[in-house]
Amino acid sequence: MSQQYPAILVIVPLLSAFAISIAGWVNKRLCFPIIVTALSVVVYASIGLLLTVLEKGVVIYHLGGWPPPVGIAYYVDHLNGLVLVVVASVALLNVIAAKKSIEQEFPDKAAPFYTLYILMVTGLLGIVVTGDAFNLYVLLEIAALTGYGLLAMGEERAQLSSLNYLYMGTIGACFYLLGVGYLYIVTGSLNMMDIARLLPPLYQSKAVLAAFIICMVGVWLKMAFFPLHSWLPNAYTHATSAASSLIAPLVTKVMVYVMIRLILTIFTPEFAFATMALNNVVVWLAVIAIVMGAILALAERNLKKMLTFIIVAEVGYMVGGAWLGNRAGMTGAILHIVNDALMTLCVFLVVGNIVYKVKGYAFEDLQGLFRKMPFTMGAFVVGAMSIIGVPPTCGFFSKWYLILGALQAGHYGFVAALIFSSLVSVVLFFRIFEICYYEPFSDHHGHDHPPEPMDEAPLLMVVPLLIVAVILILVGLYTGDIVNHIIKFAIPEGLV
Amino acid sequence: MKIIGLIITIITGAFLVYAAIDFPAWSDPNSPASTYLSPYFIENSMKDTSVPNYVTSLLADYRGFDTMFETTVIFTAGLVCFILLRISGGKEPETSHYRHVLTGVTVTLKKGHKIPESEDFERIDDLWTPPDLIIKTSCRLMIPFIQLFGLYVIAHGHSSPGGGFQGGVILGASIILLAISHDLRTALEKMREKVVAILCPIGVSIYAGTGTLCLLLGVNFLDYSALASVLHVDPIAARSHGIFMVEIGVGIAVMTTMIWIYNNISSAGKYNQGL
Repeated sequence: MSQQYPAILVIVPLLSAFAISIAGWVNKRLCFPIIVTALSVVVYASIGLLLTVLEKGVVIYHLGGWPPPVGIAYYVDHLNGLVLVVVASVALLNVIAAKKSIEQEFPDKAAPFYTLYILMVTGLLGIVVTGDAFNLYVLLEIAALTGYGLLAMGEERAQLSSLNYLYMGTIGACFYLLGVGYLYIVTGSLNMMDIARLLPPLYQSKAVLAAFIICMVGVWLKMAFFPLHSWLPNAYTHATSAASSLIAPLVTKVMVYVMIRLILTIFTPEFAFATMALNNVVVWLAVIAIVMGAILALAERNLKKMLTFIIVAEVGYMVGGAWLGNRAGMTGAILHIVNDALMTLCVFLVVGNIVYKVKGYAFEDLQGLFRKMPFTMGAFVVGAMSIIGVPPTCGFFSKWYLILGALQAGHYGFVAALIFSSLVSVVLFFRIFEICYYEPFSDHHGHDHPPEPMDEAPLLMVVPLLIVAVILILVGLYTGDIVNHIIKFAIPEGLV
Repeated sequence: MKIIGLIITIITGAFLVYAAIDFPAWSDPNSPASTYLSPYFIENSMKDTSVPNYVTSLLADYRGFDTMFETTVIFTAGLVCFILLRISGGKEPETSHYRHVLTGVTVTLKKGHKIPESEDFERIDDLWTPPDLIIKTSCRLMIPFIQLFGLYVIAHGHSSPGGGFQGGVILGASIILLAISHDLRTALEKMREKVVAILCPIGVSIYAGTGTLCLLLGVNFLDYSALASVLHVDPIAARSHGIFMVEIGVGIAVMTTMIWIYNNISSAGKYNQGL
């Protein structure tokens, strides 16, 4: 059984998507149990796979029994083994937490929503697990198409924002495909390992250079790296909470994974950092992304939109870290994929709970929330601390590695940007704490408003959120183990 | 803004063309793409899978996993159309029109009024035009042949151009032709919404299910050779049969998705009247 884990990871959610789709026409109550069971199996398989990788090294799975390069192969090493666990657990926790709000927002379309949801998870898992450059594109299509659908099902303006995302996302996917096409023309292969083996004699070729650059621009578009970020804030803000709390933590992070996979495996760090000599430019772009993301977040008077600009800044962290071109920076970037997925999930689940109870997420709607929803706001504090980077939450440790990498590379601009954005995050979140804790102000005549009674979100929404908050601290406490036992082996020996 | 866009487009295009200088020459028989993997597929398709059309064996067997997800993409497209457009339990229209079949008199009913059940009246669209005998009759004659041809294309993908995608589109087009030449209601009577919406995931599950069956029989996902023990043939013929099974699944999925998307878009999600 255990050698089938890579297939199970993708097949179980795929088949259950069809089962949910059919169940929607037969008995709607079956949909939720099916999706939770399927995602639990996925979590189990992903953890099993990671343990197998830790024990025996890289797992390669030949689909259809054809060895690569003839057929398609799944290739699981420490890097994607870790990301798979993150994707699977975020998807499971989020679907449990989102059940109530899905039922509230789409009473009659819950089944197609769940179908799209689990198809999107299938797409993301497939992107992460695959060792084939073209197979990655096919799964990218699934993740993108379901993403457009999920994001378009929101409030009035969601469809326009989603259309915007569709244009940008399609261009990004096309760029990636074009890059793969260029690679195929010069190597004749689509398997990542095989391309990496065939490429070194071709490093001077202009076609390989172009393939690398357009693949990079494609994934940057998809992850909303700064000048290409314009689609993200509106698309994520206008979506329903269930959709945005799945897509915001995972899609950008999975695309960062794809970027790291392109750099580390297909093109190898020697080519990306030594032959190209582009890394300084990209790190400066990341600096701009971080600073602009932070400033734009500061300008927002709306919690959800503010968080989307924080995502833009966080993408800058990861791209910058990966492009610093040294071991510490890359460690920080990979660790930040894990941490940022979890903390984004945490804060977006909080937004989901607030929307469920208060029906709004503008700053004025947040008044008095500490008294009204103490557990939700407690988790929010943990998530916010993690985004700011306060130990022992996990956000601190990835920032630590990123700063270490920047110092090693002598890139002080990046250090300054990291510190600047942390300080801005302090302002951002403490402003919200203040509103939630002190407002509405009592008037001067001593007529105190009676304190609002506690009105917490349902248990099904609060428990997953609290679990995420605890995980944020646990991941922070066990960072050393994650780095020494997993991420250390994910980065090739050559990168120092 | 337009000028900036133009400049970026020109720079990107120039860069891509510049990079193309290092490509192998046009139709170069010694290029990596034609020497590395293609010869393997051309020479071994028959030996490995007993399918003479190596495009089919490449799509449905060697890289069958990609094709499964391409089918899923089609299903997703249909589902997204449904979820965004379908208005369930939509409001009753302000007026509805009925036509007395024998006399050709059109009756317009206001909201809330009903006509007694009778054979003599038929419901017609707002923009109804008198039926054209030539169009109706010729379409009615053509549709069975179109469907027969669709089935042929699906079944004959092994040895001639064709397969599930093409055949499925042809089958879907036959039902859409019925909807265009008659009206949406007639087509919906032949293929109800629920049937379409359930057949579509079933089609893709036939593909994924064939792969899972292989997995349950103890080999890797989509390794059709395991079907030999179920079908009582040798493993190579089993690959050929496996390809045929997934082609049927693709055909069903593509056909129903075509109809699903057409129904949702042409009636703007209301399913009361089409184009």
